[in-house]
Amino acid sequence: MMSNNSNTASRQFVPTPAQPAPNMSAGFVAWVRDNLFSSISNSIITLIVIAFFVSVIPGIIDWAFISATWSGADQSACNKEGACWVFINAWSQQLFYGSYTDGELWRVNLCLILLALTVISSFTLPKSFRLKLSIPLFLVLPFICIAILDGRLLGLEYVDTDYWGGFSLNILMAAAAIIISFPFSFLWALGRRSQMPLARSISVILIEFFRGIPVLALFFMGSVMLPMFFSEGTNVDKLIRVWLVLIFFMSGYMAEVFRGGFQAVPKGQYEAADSVGLSYWQKTLLIILPQVIKVSMPNILATFVMLFKNTVFLLIIGIPEIVQTLQTALSNSNWLGGWAIEGYVFVFLIFWVCCFGMSLLASKIERDLDTDKRD
Amino acid sequence: MFQKKTTEQIKAATRPSAQKKAGAFYNNPQIRAIFYQTLLVVGLLYFFYAIVNNTLTNMEASGIKSGFGFLSTAAGYDILMSLISFESTDTYLRVFIVGFLNTILVSAIGIFFATILGFIFGVAYFSKNWLIRTISTAYVEIFRNIPLLLQVFFWYFAVLAALPGPRDSLSFGEAIFLNVRGLFTPKLVGSDGSTLVYIALGIAVVGIFVLRSWAKKRQELTGQQFPLLWGSLGLVIGLPLLVALFTDLPFTVDYPALKGFSFKGGITIIPELMALSLALSVYGGAFIAEAVRAGIQSVPKGQSEAARSIGLKENKIMSLVVVPQAMRVIVPLLNSEYQSLVKNSTLAAAIGYPDLFNVFVGTALNQTGQAIETIFMTIIVYFILNMMISFLMNRFNNNVELTGR
Repeated sequence: MMSNNSNTASRQFVPTPAQPAPNMSAGFVAWVRDNLFSSISNSIITLIVIAFFVSVIPGIIDWAFISATWSGADQSACNKEGACWVFINAWSQQLFYGSYTDGELWRVNLCLILLALTVISSFTLPKSFRLKLSIPLFLVLPFICIAILDGRLLGLEYVDTDYWGGFSLNILMAAAAIIISFPFSFLWALGRRSQMPLARSISVILIEFFRGIPVLALFFMGSVMLPMFFSEGTNVDKLIRVWLVLIFFMSGYMAEVFRGGFQAVPKGQYEAADSVGLSYWQKTLLIILPQVIKVSMPNILATFVMLFKNTVFLLIIGIPEIVQTLQTALSNSNWLGGWAIEGYVFVFLIFWVCCFGMSLLASKIERDLDTDKRD
Repeated sequence: MFQKKTTEQIKAATRPSAQKKAGAFYNNPQIRAIFYQTLLVVGLLYFFYAIVNNTLTNMEASGIKSGFGFLSTAAGYDILMSLISFESTDTYLRVFIVGFLNTILVSAIGIFFATILGFIFGVAYFSKNWLIRTISTAYVEIFRNIPLLLQVFFWYFAVLAALPGPRDSLSFGEAIFLNVRGLFTPKLVGSDGSTLVYIALGIAVVGIFVLRSWAKKRQELTGQQFPLLWGSLGLVIGLPLLVALFTDLPFTVDYPALKGFSFKGGITIIPELMALSLALSVYGGAFIAEAVRAGIQSVPKGQSEAARSIGLKENKIMSLVVVPQAMRVIVPLLNSEYQSLVKNSTLAAAIGYPDLFNVFVGTALNQTGQAIETIFMTIIVYFILNMMISFLMNRFNNNVELTGR
C-alpha cells in the first residue's frame, strides 16, 4: 500500500491540519472557567472558599507535620505548637492489641491473617467448589480464632478475655458477629417470606425487634439482663455476651438485606428449580442462595461497615476496644499533657480508612453487578 | 386455610402418586407446615419458660423485687439538666419524664439541623462549582465513615473541652457567652401583659396556613405568585412585635452574667447537649445528604432540561421542578434516617447528657436493680417514638407521592 501510493503522493488528498480548539473551550483554562468562575456568584463563592482554605490549611499542615514531634520517649519531647505523635507511638501496641500478653501477639496477628485469607479465598477459589468450601471455612473461623486467642485448647499460654482489646478486637468482633449472623439472618429472611403464618410472624417480630431498639439498649440488655436468663451459677464471659448481642443485632439488619436479595432473584429461577424437582432446601441452598449472596454483596458490605462502626459501643460496657484504650491512655499520669486531639485524629483516620475502603469496594461491586445485567 | 397454593402444594397435588392414593402423609406439605410450626412454637415456649424461670430464680437469689412499685419512690439523685423542675426528692416516674423530655429535645435539635445540613450538602453536590461539589462529597464521605460515638467524643473531649474557662469566655456582643461550661444566651422573661403577645404569636402561626392556602388559590386563578416566605416571616415576627409595642413591651431580658466562677441567669446550654447535638446533626446530615443526592439523581434529566427550556432560573429549577419530584425518593429515606437519629441519641450515656437512656437505664437501673422494668420501659418509648416518626413521615409521603391518574 505504502509503496504503491508513494509515487502518487502529490495527488493524494491531504487534509488541512485541524485548527486549534477555540480559545477558552478546552484545557486547563476552560476547565477553570467552567467549574470555578462560570458566573459572578460562582466566582465569589470560589474566592471565599479558596481564601478559607489558604487561611486554614497551612496551619493544619504546620501542626500535623512541620512543628510536630515524631520521635521521643515521653511527653517531655513534645511542644504545644505541633502535634505530639510520640503519644501515638508510645501507645500504638496498646491501641492495636490492647493489653494482650507481650510475647503472644503473633496469635492476634495469626487470627487477622486467617481472616484475610478466608476473605480472599472466597473470591479467588475456583468457582466449582468456592461456595462449598468458603461457607464452612467462614463459619468455623470465629471458633478457631477464639481457640487461638484463648490458647487453652491448643496448649498455648492462657490469655484471659480481660486482656483482649485494641483495634484488633474491633476487627475480629465485627467479623465474628457478621459471620455467625449469616445463618440466623438467612433463616429469618426465609421465615419472613414463608407461607407458614406462625413462622412468618415470629420472624417479623424478631427482625423488627432487633432493628427497632437502640444498639446501646441491646448492649445493656446483654450485660445486665442476659446473665439473669441463664440458670444460676452459669457464668458467661462478657465478650461472649457482647458477641451474642452483636450477632442478633446484625441478624435483624442482615435479614432485611437478604429479603431484598431474595426479591431480586428472578421468579423464573425459583420456578426452574421447582420444575426440575428440587426439594425446598436444595432449591434454596443450591440455586437461590448463591444468587442472593451475589446480588446483596454491596448491601452486606454496607451493613458490615455499620456493624464495624458500632463496635466502638463496646467501650460503654467497659470492654477495652480502641477508643476505650485511647481514653485510658489520655488519663494516664505520664501523658496528662492534653493529647486528646492527636489521639482522636489518629483513631478517626484508622476508622475512616477502613470504612471508606469498604464503601469504595461496595460501590465497585455494585458497578460490576450492573454491567452483568446489561450483558 | 384460605391461602394461595404454593408451588409445593401444586406439585404435591399433581404428582401421580397423589392422584392415585394420598401418598405418605409426611410428604404432604400442609401436614409438614403444621408439624414444623408446632415444633417452632413448642421450642419457643420452652425457651421462654426457661428464661422466665431462670430470671425469677436469679432475682430471688439477689433479692430484687419485680414490679413497677419503684416508680413512686424518691430517686435521691440530681439530674444535670431538666426542662421541668426536678429535685432529688422527686420520684423515679419524674426521672423518667425528665429523661424523656431531654431525649425529645436533643432528637428534635438533631433532626432539625441534620435536615438543614443534609439538604444544603445534598443539593451542593450538583453545583456548577467544582469546589462546592468537592466539599459536599468530602463532607459526606468523611462524616459517614467515622463512628458516631467517636464524633461525640471528639466534640466533647477535644473541641468543647478546649474552650476557655468562664473568666475569659468568648463573648458575642456581651450577651452570648461561650466557655468550657457551656453556651450562655439571654432569656426573655415575660411579665404581666405577655400573654397577649403569645396569643398574637399563635394567631400569626394560624395566619401562615391561611395565607398559604390563599396564595395557592390566587396562583391557580391568576398565575401571580406571592412571596410566601417573606410574608410568613413578616407575619410571625411582625404581629407579636406590634402587639408587644402596643402593650409597652411586657418583657425583660435576663442576661447571663459572670458571678464568682460561673455564669448566672439567661439560658444555659450545657456542653453535653452541644456535643451530642453537634455530632448527631453532622453525622445525620451526611446520611441525609446521601439521601437527597440519590433523590435528585432519580429525577430524569429531561425534567430540568424542560424547565431550563421554558426559561426558569437555575435556583427555581431546583426548588420548583427537581426537588419536589426528588422528595418521592427522599422522604422514605429520611424516615429511616430520622429513626436511626433518635436511636443514636442514646449515645448521650457516653458523655453524661441526661437523656432517657442515661437517667433511666443508666442511673435508675444501677440504684434500684430493676433491670427488666427499666429497660422494658425505655425500649417501649423508643419504639413509640420511632412509630410516631414513621407515621408522620408516611403522612408526609402521601403528600409528595406520585398520584396515579
